[in-house]
Amino acid sequence: MVYLAPPRSLHLAPLCPQPAERKLYRMTYPRALLRAAVLAGMTVVVLVLFAVQLVLMAPGVVLGMVFLIPPPIHAGRVLVNRWRRMFEAWTGRAVPVPYEPPPPPPEPDDEGLYRHDATLYKTPRFPRFFRRLDWLMKDPATKRDLSWQFWFLLLGLLPLALAAGPLLLAAWTWIWGPPWGLPGVPSPGAWWATAWTALWEHPAWLAALALPGLVALPWTVGAVARWSAWLLAPGTRPPSSSKRVEQTLLGWVRCAFLVACAAAEVVLFAISLACFALGFGLGLVFLIPVANSHFRWLVNLRRQFAEWGGVRIPRPYAPQLRPELRPDGMYRVKNNLYKTETMASFNASWQWTWNDIASWRDLLWLAVDPVATLALVGLPVAAVVYGGWGLVFPWAWTEFFGADWSAWYGAVAGHRTLGLAAGLALVAVGLAAPRPLLVANARWTALLLRPTKAAAEEAALRERVERLTQTRSDALDAQAAEVRRIERDLHDGAQARLIAVGLTLGAIERLMDTDPAAARKLVAQARETSATALTELRDLVRGIHPPVLSERGLGDAVRALALDTAAEVTVAGELAGRPPAPVESAAYFAVSELLANATRHGGAERIGVDLRHRDGLLRITVTDDGDGGADPSRGTGLRGIERRLGTFDGTLAIHSPRGGPTVATLELPCALSSPKTSTF
Amino acid sequence: MRVVLAEDLYLLRDGLVLLLQSHGFEIVAAVDSGPALHTALLEHRPDVAVVDVRLPPTFTDEGLQAALAARRVVPGLPVLVLSQHVEQLYARELLADGTGAVGYLLKDRVFNADQFVDAVRQVAAGGTVMDPSVIAKLVARPSATTGSLTPREREVLTLMAEGRSNTAIAKQLFLSESAVNKHIANIFGKLNLPVSDDDNRRVLAVLAHLQGQ
Repeated sequence: MVYLAPPRSLHLAPLCPQPAERKLYRMTYPRALLRAAVLAGMTVVVLVLFAVQLVLMAPGVVLGMVFLIPPPIHAGRVLVNRWRRMFEAWTGRAVPVPYEPPPPPPEPDDEGLYRHDATLYKTPRFPRFFRRLDWLMKDPATKRDLSWQFWFLLLGLLPLALAAGPLLLAAWTWIWGPPWGLPGVPSPGAWWATAWTALWEHPAWLAALALPGLVALPWTVGAVARWSAWLLAPGTRPPSSSKRVEQTLLGWVRCAFLVACAAAEVVLFAISLACFALGFGLGLVFLIPVANSHFRWLVNLRRQFAEWGGVRIPRPYAPQLRPELRPDGMYRVKNNLYKTETMASFNASWQWTWNDIASWRDLLWLAVDPVATLALVGLPVAAVVYGGWGLVFPWAWTEFFGADWSAWYGAVAGHRTLGLAAGLALVAVGLAAPRPLLVANARWTALLLRPTKAAAEEAALRERVERLTQTRSDALDAQAAEVRRIERDLHDGAQARLIAVGLTLGAIERLMDTDPAAARKLVAQARETSATALTELRDLVRGIHPPVLSERGLGDAVRALALDTAAEVTVAGELAGRPPAPVESAAYFAVSELLANATRHGGAERIGVDLRHRDGLLRITVTDDGDGGADPSRGTGLRGIERRLGTFDGTLAIHSPRGGPTVATLELPCALSSPKTSTF
Repeated sequence: MRVVLAEDLYLLRDGLVLLLQSHGFEIVAAVDSGPALHTALLEHRPDVAVVDVRLPPTFTDEGLQAALAARRVVPGLPVLVLSQHVEQLYARELLADGTGAVGYLLKDRVFNADQFVDAVRQVAAGGTVMDPSVIAKLVARPSATTGSLTPREREVLTLMAEGRSNTAIAKQLFLSESAVNKHIANIFGKLNLPVSDDDNRRVLAVLAHLQGQ
């Protein structure tokens, strides 16, 4: 049976200790002061953490140095968990640990090898690492943590800065005069310039600015704590406004990234040209496959980036051609035979890259894309960089810090202030523009990088064949196992009991005349044995194909199942006809397994089953109020259901957050036939 | 007592005819399909019908449906349904009209001829007989009300729901009849059921209560 709900200790291990009970420390003024200092200190830690995560993640993602990714995230989790408990104590709100349970260690297969995706490893090291990587990167809680860190950098220092910042400045000014060349030489005459200069001449005024911050300190600290508690708890979504800010910044960063890629493409294209030149010019033919394919990593990366513009581009390449060792010791590649593996491999890689239309499309794209990408997404990048660095920054630099105006600084028709306005406008446009541009860029990328129609069709067929091969072998395995089980059950059960009955009847025959009393006793025994045999046969039949299923169809069979389940099960929905018998049977056993899981492992008390058939799809939803935490990748039972449904191109989707509720949806494409039931 | 019998397997039908005749029943019709059963029930209006669930022509629940259809025309027509497997779903459908005079037994119960004949007579007399395995599942299902019963009361409830009389329950559990009466009073009190002397009403009340959960 399926292992649906792993025990709690496994869920929360090892870095997720749940507090036994929440303590709430009320906010007093001294406490607020202390907390403001703690928040400020945390900002420094978060800054380091965030920077380390970003710095290590960038090469991890872009250059494939994935081993750099998990340690900082893991360390971040330990820290953030500590803060979760701290915010719980500050706010009195529950901040549960949102992380998914860690993956189970990889198990060796029959040959003692460890599998990850399509590769077998000798040691569990790499599969374990990839599982952990998947676990960390796919967990929405990782994104939540990063998002909190990003915003905390802006907000964490705020309470203390508002309260103590002006005071510190005032003290500094009092003792040593205005720091960092402040107040500078702002343009004379402007009202704000006068106020600004006056402020620095009277440190007391400066200190007075701290008043609102000091008065509101408990409130500002509380707000930051509540906001953190809210964002760090699972199940909350950041408000759309902060999301929009993140999205806007992200859009621009993506544009910048594409521009960086475009620069790399120029280099890669140059390498390709050089390889072709050397290959055909100097006869270094071994460089030709390199020239054709060495850039695929970047091209694949750009295919992935097309998703930023909402376009999914599958990889178009033909499957890699590998030499085939023949019984006579020769290596065969297509219709050519080679004595050595090296030559065969070279020819295979030549054929693979040279004959694939995708290589040439890639190459063409590589030549054109730097220009196209620069034209499409270069604008916002340039606008923000020039607007910010060239126009706004010089203005602030010269206005506030009294720096001399340089001929390098940008201005509009000699007006610095006009330049400031233009700069701000440019930054705004640069930040607003990326989304449609990313879409346009993705479409352009898709134009050449998506598989040609023929290749796409071939890939789809290949995928279908692979899936059919897989499900067929699953189905055959399952069927063979089923037949073996039935054979064993019959052999050890009913068959053996019938033999016993036969033997007893023989004995009765002998004793009937001589010892009628003993014969009668044996008759009772024979009857009992045959009754047991019948019970066993009935159970066996129920396991093969429940009679109620053939008598009433899926709807009533599920209702009968519901009545036999310990929990309270409500069945809704009606089928207008009957699915084909094998589909019906698969659906029945899937529901049976799901109900058993819900009550046995999930501890469910109420279960709802919904049956529906629409647009050629039979959809059954099983919802329960149990503990949740069901995961098809762990339970063999759920995987068994998936396999069984897979034979009919059916699917099983499980949504089971910890704490429930669990929703299992199974879908089977099938047509309904008119019901074959009795006529009364 | 006039009996209509429906069973499609020749050997079993023959065996049942012999068994019932030897206990003094008169077999007015022994049929082997759903439509024939429906006709026979309405034509003969027997004192009791013994019906196999699965019959030709569809080999689904033809027998059950024919019996239910006949009971819609002749309310309270006594029907004892036999089956290779028992489903609470079917038990529910048989009990749904609340008129009693129904039985639902596994075919295995025929092995014990006396008990089987007893069940036929009880159904003919308007009683209710449910297979122990149906009752066991009903009683075993955890619920707020049956949870408060003692094990002994549970045993008594199970036998009561099978349609046994107080005397029979006392004999089976090696108790005095007054002790059984006391247990039953307790059960009815705990399940909030009106006390009734009529065996059939009592069984129906218990079943209705158990199924209502």
